[in-house]
Amino acid sequence: MDDLIAARSTMAFSLGFHIIFAAIGMTMPFFMTTAHFLFLRKKNPEYLELTKMWMKGVAILFAVGAVSGTVLSFELGLLWPGFMKHAGPVIGMPFSWEGTAFFLEAIAIGLFLYGWDRMHPWVHWGTGLLVGVSGFASGVFVVAANSWMNTPAGFDWVNGEAVNIDPVAAMFNKAWLHQSLHMQTAALQAVGFAVAGIHAYLLLKGKARHLNLMALKIAMAFAATASLIQPFIGHFAAQKVAEYQPAKLAAMEGHFKTEKAAALYIGGYPNVETQTMEYGIPIPGALSFLAFNDFNAEVKGLDQFPRELWPPVAITHFSFQIMVGIGSLLALVALLYFYFLKKKNIPNWFLKVLCGTIPLGFIAIEAGWITTEVGRQPWIIYGFMKTKDALTPVPGMVYHFVLFLILYIFLGFVTAWLLKRQITAAQKKFEV
Amino acid sequence: MIEILLFFIGASLLLYVIFGGADYGAGILELLPIKKQMRAEQTHVINEAMGPVWEANHMWLILVIVILFMGFPLVFTTLMTSLHIPMVALLVGIVIRGCVFTFRHYDPLSEEKSQKVYTKVFGISSLWTSLWLGIIVASLNRGAINPKSLDFHTAYIRPWFGLYPLMTGIFVALIFAFLAAIYLIGETTHVELKKLFARRAYILNILVVIAGGLVFLTSDLEGGSLLRDFIQHPAAIFCMVSATFMFVLLWFFIEKRKTYHARIVAAGQATLILAGWYLLYAPNALTTTEGPLSFFSAAAPPATLLQLVLALLVGSLFIFPSLFFLIKVFKINKPARSGHAPK
Repeated sequence: MDDLIAARSTMAFSLGFHIIFAAIGMTMPFFMTTAHFLFLRKKNPEYLELTKMWMKGVAILFAVGAVSGTVLSFELGLLWPGFMKHAGPVIGMPFSWEGTAFFLEAIAIGLFLYGWDRMHPWVHWGTGLLVGVSGFASGVFVVAANSWMNTPAGFDWVNGEAVNIDPVAAMFNKAWLHQSLHMQTAALQAVGFAVAGIHAYLLLKGKARHLNLMALKIAMAFAATASLIQPFIGHFAAQKVAEYQPAKLAAMEGHFKTEKAAALYIGGYPNVETQTMEYGIPIPGALSFLAFNDFNAEVKGLDQFPRELWPPVAITHFSFQIMVGIGSLLALVALLYFYFLKKKNIPNWFLKVLCGTIPLGFIAIEAGWITTEVGRQPWIIYGFMKTKDALTPVPGMVYHFVLFLILYIFLGFVTAWLLKRQITAAQKKFEV
Repeated sequence: MIEILLFFIGASLLLYVIFGGADYGAGILELLPIKKQMRAEQTHVINEAMGPVWEANHMWLILVIVILFMGFPLVFTTLMTSLHIPMVALLVGIVIRGCVFTFRHYDPLSEEKSQKVYTKVFGISSLWTSLWLGIIVASLNRGAINPKSLDFHTAYIRPWFGLYPLMTGIFVALIFAFLAAIYLIGETTHVELKKLFARRAYILNILVVIAGGLVFLTSDLEGGSLLRDFIQHPAAIFCMVSATFMFVLLWFFIEKRKTYHARIVAAGQATLILAGWYLLYAPNALTTTEGPLSFFSAAAPPATLLQLVLALLVGSLFIFPSLFFLIKVFKINKPARSGHAPK
């Protein structure tokens, strides 16, 4: 493994690990606060039980999210000093706001976790809400920083240096809005379905039916709503990619030749050697429509770009298809859910479906990040700096990669084991 | 503008030491032998005292990192390159202790065996991380950072490898443990535990002074300039001397069981030590083999600095009141514990 691949794998793995906990940290507090709100209004002790159950999950997962986020902030310099030297002053602004928001979140979580009976109940509730709000805000800021790598703005590139820096323009670059909307909605979906799925599982086991049903409904209110909005946001995002990063869009769709009335492929293997799409199901004109709202519009293919500027086509295409596939499936499940909710009867087979959705949202998030990050290659700052030019001169990156691989796999197992213990303990409590 | 940022870096480092440092110290204290029936109480006291402020205390380090990479990118990238190895070691420690502290508290089945493992891991990772923090701090101005070297050893090992950085690491770990012992006296009502913390605070205070002397000695032994720089810097001498002699005051307060006063004096000692070090080298961020790199010459363009200062000032408007509220709720109000609070 050469140093570049090792460093990229480390970054990919660190981000992929952190994103799970970050998604939970910025959305689950809202579920918890909703249950807490219902308890404070209706005084039903089951809502209090639920709030505390979720609170423990938030506490554990927040801790892992906080430290894995710390790792990332160091890794920007440990792995990509060539990038940070130039990019730090340009995109530092969203990071400094992210730092502020995260700081508030850290204070709020201390207040909420340990503050029972130490302040007015509604003030205490507010601290829980603050955990969610500041967590959500810090997510938006971090994604804004990432979006700058896709649509760089707020500087002039003169002789390999960034000059005339405008941090505000850099933060509000062309991709910040659609990327943030897309990610935050995805987090609500992933976490919502995972939580709903766990409670569906407990319902199927016949444990504490009422409490688990309430939990499922709260989680699904977020997840199902987000899942119905997400297709529109995703469509909006894809159009922006078509406009600003045509090479990425071409790789996502396995679109080799520039043409009018371009077809959209479902499935298929993009063969880079023959520059054709194999085994895919084409929908004529659909890609043109999706990208430009016009069935006859011309869509740039990879043939418009020199071969060394192509992103890895197969990885980008497959991960994009996985994301879109899961997104469509979750939207369907959301529709079914609203139907059953209206009928006031959720059948057991649908609970089983919900159990199946537990990992799906997270897989879609990972696939989406692979799409956007791999699809940006070979650039680290799109159009300005290649990833290989940002790499640290420190040799032996493979050891760094293996170290964090082992650490995170171990940490992942311990976290999962602990959550399982939490769920088992909660179940035992209901049985008494 | 740069002065404001230097103030924020200094203040964040200080708050990290006097708050976050005590969290490290508590872990180190848990490594020390203790009677079996008191161990559970000690863990309980540490959980209750640190739990609410645990995540917030960690944030000061993040703040320093963000200020460095936005405002002083050259400092940030040089550190992360030349001190790559100690930074990675530090990170591993931060990850492990950050998780295990929370895991120990939120493990629903608090049986003895698993608690023992959590505590051991928490202790070792706290000691490990504070050692590396000290090593990194000592390496900053040791003059061995060599960004131009192509040789692995001179570029990535020599900048931090040596007796002086190691001794600084030990010194930092001892200060952290000392702070924790002082703070914890006031956190428990258990008489014997109070006595134990007080006894440990005395011993650690003496060890801190000895280790401090050894830091100067080891620097001198390896031909470093710490002692020479120090002697020529009256303000730094003043800080160190007054930090050392404040122990009289501290011991007096401990004897009188004035725990709040003792805390303030101990934090004051730590502040003076840090201030002495900061004054000694300011405004230099680090020293390479070619000479010092000043914050002033490594700063980002003015437009960036302005945004950074704005973010810090506006952020402070949110953070400091909430932080004060946090401390008020958990450290000043201190209502009687009720059974209502979840474990």
